[in-house]
Amino acid sequence: MTWYLVRRVAQSVAVVIGVMILTFILVHMVPGSAARAALGPRATSARIAIFNATYGLNEPLWRQFLSYVSGVLHGNLGTSYTLQQPVSTLISQRLPKDCLLLGLSTVLALAIGLPVGMYQAVRRARPSDHLLTGATFTLYSMPDFLLGLLLVALFSVQLRWLPPEVPQVSTIGALLADPRALVLPVVTLALVSVATFSRYMRSATIETLAQDYLRTARAKGLPQRLVLTRHALRNSVLPVVTILGLSLPGIVAGAVIAEDIFNYPGMGLLFYNAATSHDFPIMLGSTLVVGVATVVGNLAADIAYAVLDPRIRYVAR
Amino acid sequence: MGFRLSRPNGDTRPSRPRLRRTALAATVVALAAATAACTSASHAGITSGTNAKGTPQKGGTVTLAWQPGSAPNFIFPFVPAANTNGYNANLANLMWPTLTYVGDGAQATVNPQKSLWSAINYSDGDKTITLTLKPWKWSDGTPISARDLVFTYNLLKANVPNWNEYLPGLFPDNVSSVTATGPSTAVIQLTKSYNPSFYTGDVLSIINLLPQHAWDKTSATGKAGNYDQTTAGAKAVYAFLQKEGGDMSTFTTNPLWKVVDGPFELSAFTPSTGDYTYVPNPHYSGTPTDLSKVVNEQFTTSDAILDAVRAGNGPDTAPLSLSDIGQVRQLQSEGYSVASTPFPGVAGAYLNFWDTQDSAVSAVFNQLYIRQAMEDLINRPQIVSKVYDGYADPGNGPVPVTGFGQWVSPLEKKGGPYPYNPSAATKLLTAHGWKVVPNGTTSCAHPGTSASECGAGIKTGQKLAFQYLYSSGDPSTDAMEAAIQSSEEQAGITFNLKAEPFSTLAGSVAVCNKSSHPASGCGWQIVDFGYDPYDGPYPTGAGMFNTGGADNQGGYSNPTMDQLVNATEFGSGTATFYQYEDFAAEQLPLLYVPLPYNINVYKSNLGGYAPMNPFTGGINEQDWYYTK
Repeated sequence: MTWYLVRRVAQSVAVVIGVMILTFILVHMVPGSAARAALGPRATSARIAIFNATYGLNEPLWRQFLSYVSGVLHGNLGTSYTLQQPVSTLISQRLPKDCLLLGLSTVLALAIGLPVGMYQAVRRARPSDHLLTGATFTLYSMPDFLLGLLLVALFSVQLRWLPPEVPQVSTIGALLADPRALVLPVVTLALVSVATFSRYMRSATIETLAQDYLRTARAKGLPQRLVLTRHALRNSVLPVVTILGLSLPGIVAGAVIAEDIFNYPGMGLLFYNAATSHDFPIMLGSTLVVGVATVVGNLAADIAYAVLDPRIRYVAR
Repeated sequence: MGFRLSRPNGDTRPSRPRLRRTALAATVVALAAATAACTSASHAGITSGTNAKGTPQKGGTVTLAWQPGSAPNFIFPFVPAANTNGYNANLANLMWPTLTYVGDGAQATVNPQKSLWSAINYSDGDKTITLTLKPWKWSDGTPISARDLVFTYNLLKANVPNWNEYLPGLFPDNVSSVTATGPSTAVIQLTKSYNPSFYTGDVLSIINLLPQHAWDKTSATGKAGNYDQTTAGAKAVYAFLQKEGGDMSTFTTNPLWKVVDGPFELSAFTPSTGDYTYVPNPHYSGTPTDLSKVVNEQFTTSDAILDAVRAGNGPDTAPLSLSDIGQVRQLQSEGYSVASTPFPGVAGAYLNFWDTQDSAVSAVFNQLYIRQAMEDLINRPQIVSKVYDGYADPGNGPVPVTGFGQWVSPLEKKGGPYPYNPSAATKLLTAHGWKVVPNGTTSCAHPGTSASECGAGIKTGQKLAFQYLYSSGDPSTDAMEAAIQSSEEQAGITFNLKAEPFSTLAGSVAVCNKSSHPASGCGWQIVDFGYDPYDGPYPTGAGMFNTGGADNQGGYSNPTMDQLVNATEFGSGTATFYQYEDFAAEQLPLLYVPLPYNINVYKSNLGGYAPMNPFTGGINEQDWYYTK
């Protein structure tokens, strides 16, 4: 297991370096001048020269890359052209907010999706199974921006029960001080994810319920509730673990639509705005963070597999 | 004039521009645009607004909603050249006002009452300006003085390349000296004569007065001195102030920024969101504000703003996207008023007279009759009424007919030289040797340079088909460009539309002219960035239509135009201005298109809001008060 972990970590580092190189090249292949894109079409040549000197864009590409790598190794992801702040600061301001938003919505989606999936498996092919399948598919097929706007129109504009935007604060603590404001964005993101978890859970549980060890458990007189929670749940949840691992980059990358609708400045909007304004440092920094999250998520999923299923053991070759 | 991001509506606009010559970075957030209010409810008439009735009250908080990309990140009024954020002026100007304040209610005029000078006299053939400052004080009790103006000039003179408002040839290049001749009297000696209307309204309106006694220092711990009197000292002071000005964590705590002469001081600033709060400057020498607090809140989209407004307990004033016009009745029933004001700028599509990829295209654009035919085919009144619901200037020429009073020539008032006339366009093309194919592609049938032939550099079979780039992200702009494309087809002129984010356009479309030719970014043919604002109440074409002008994207060059532009900048008089204006309208250095208004909603009991000042986008916090 230890050797496996070492090997996986080494692979992950290689992947991250590859992502850095590829992203750097791709970003700098974007046509047009970054200086003019940032300063506008009437930027004078003197101003463009100052801009390029300020951000090192007058250096050869290979030297820019070395500077970038050196900066990354020292924790410096560069300075945003448009926001004029260190990228690491911008990410550290937004990442916790997205982790909160997407973490809560994922937990909520799991809290709904897993029981629903199991229930559907147990009640397979019955009217309640069909009804829940229809309901979850409806939510799954609904664009999150539409769902978000509908929820705002109903709960904020019509009923005025919940605020349509989150508080514009710096810290997670301050954000949590008004939990009502988080309800709509969390619910919006959770509802569109419920189907994913419930469908995987349903399929896995159906398969698990047909296993011999469950028949044995029942034959021993174990109540259905315990059969499901002690034996079926743990084995059925494995595919969901994979999905969760793969969703980690999504949590880090933010949710641009929800951030848009609920005035929630997070990683998604940060990257989107950077992409539309040629803000290379933010694009590179965000991609690096998402790349790291991707390999970490995969690694975590593999480890969780081993923990959940003792039959799965990674051995050194 | 200076570029703004895009056409001033929808999500891509700079929602609250204070007039500045600043190029802004595009912050295009249009993902939810497709969901923008689709209601077909007809809207109530939106005018420039009337002031709220009732008895003015002291106190109260106003919360302003700002659209995406409006968050400031720099507090020192002179922003570095590499800083792309034009909204920093919004933060600074209420604390360190500019010498001249422009706009008086809805009037595009210099506002002496709010300007820092009590008298401004031009002499020596308009080469010398004697400026007397009002007997006002900084917030620490020190009088504002002529020395402050000298300090301001010295800093800019020594550091001018690193000032993002700098335009070569203008301030401070065109100043040979600034001298304090008395405690509150300064003499500005210009290098040549300037039109007083231009200089007072358009140049002095971008110069903030700085407190020499508090800011003439090179370190946080050092004492203020007279460092600005040497170039090296001025550079050191400027570097120090710019370094401090970029530290957002100290905007409200740095002692430098506590010394203000404007109506407000900063009480809160959140770096992670760009939200900030003003409270009144208790030592302000002008008319004090009645409000106790002004909260500026940043939003991610216009949809988020509208949701917040409609949900109640949201912003007290907010911009309203044109795509949300259908919400007006609803908003009015919820206690909001709605007002509009024209943008003081010119909208148009630039033609590339120096196309490096296809010189034949430049040859086509060089023919005035072809430009006339193109303009004849743009149904501007219909675009105003159908696309912009009536809330747009028609774009009859270089000066908005709805915003500039005395500077609008009779020709422009009558609709401009080229009212919509498709048959005139067809006749023009046919008469010059083109085979016109309505809804097809017109081509040159008779090349040559005689009056009945296509013109110099145009060969047989040359088609009137062009790539037309414009800034994406706003549905009403899409609609306008589609309308133009459609109406041009009546004479067989094809505009192949391509919408791109503003930054992509700005990064790939270069300024093209004889001296830059052949530049790598000059393969474009027609581009519409949005609009180009005038810095002050004098709408000169300097920089835009003169040869080599910074805003002259397509490299239009005409000696007569140069002469007329110079006459407006360095001479004076309405007749001179009209000559330039009519010539610019007739010669079509760009294709004029309508420019939509700025529309704001505000609480109906918010007094002093309307009629809105076009130069501040209606945002005049010091004038506001609640009524009972």
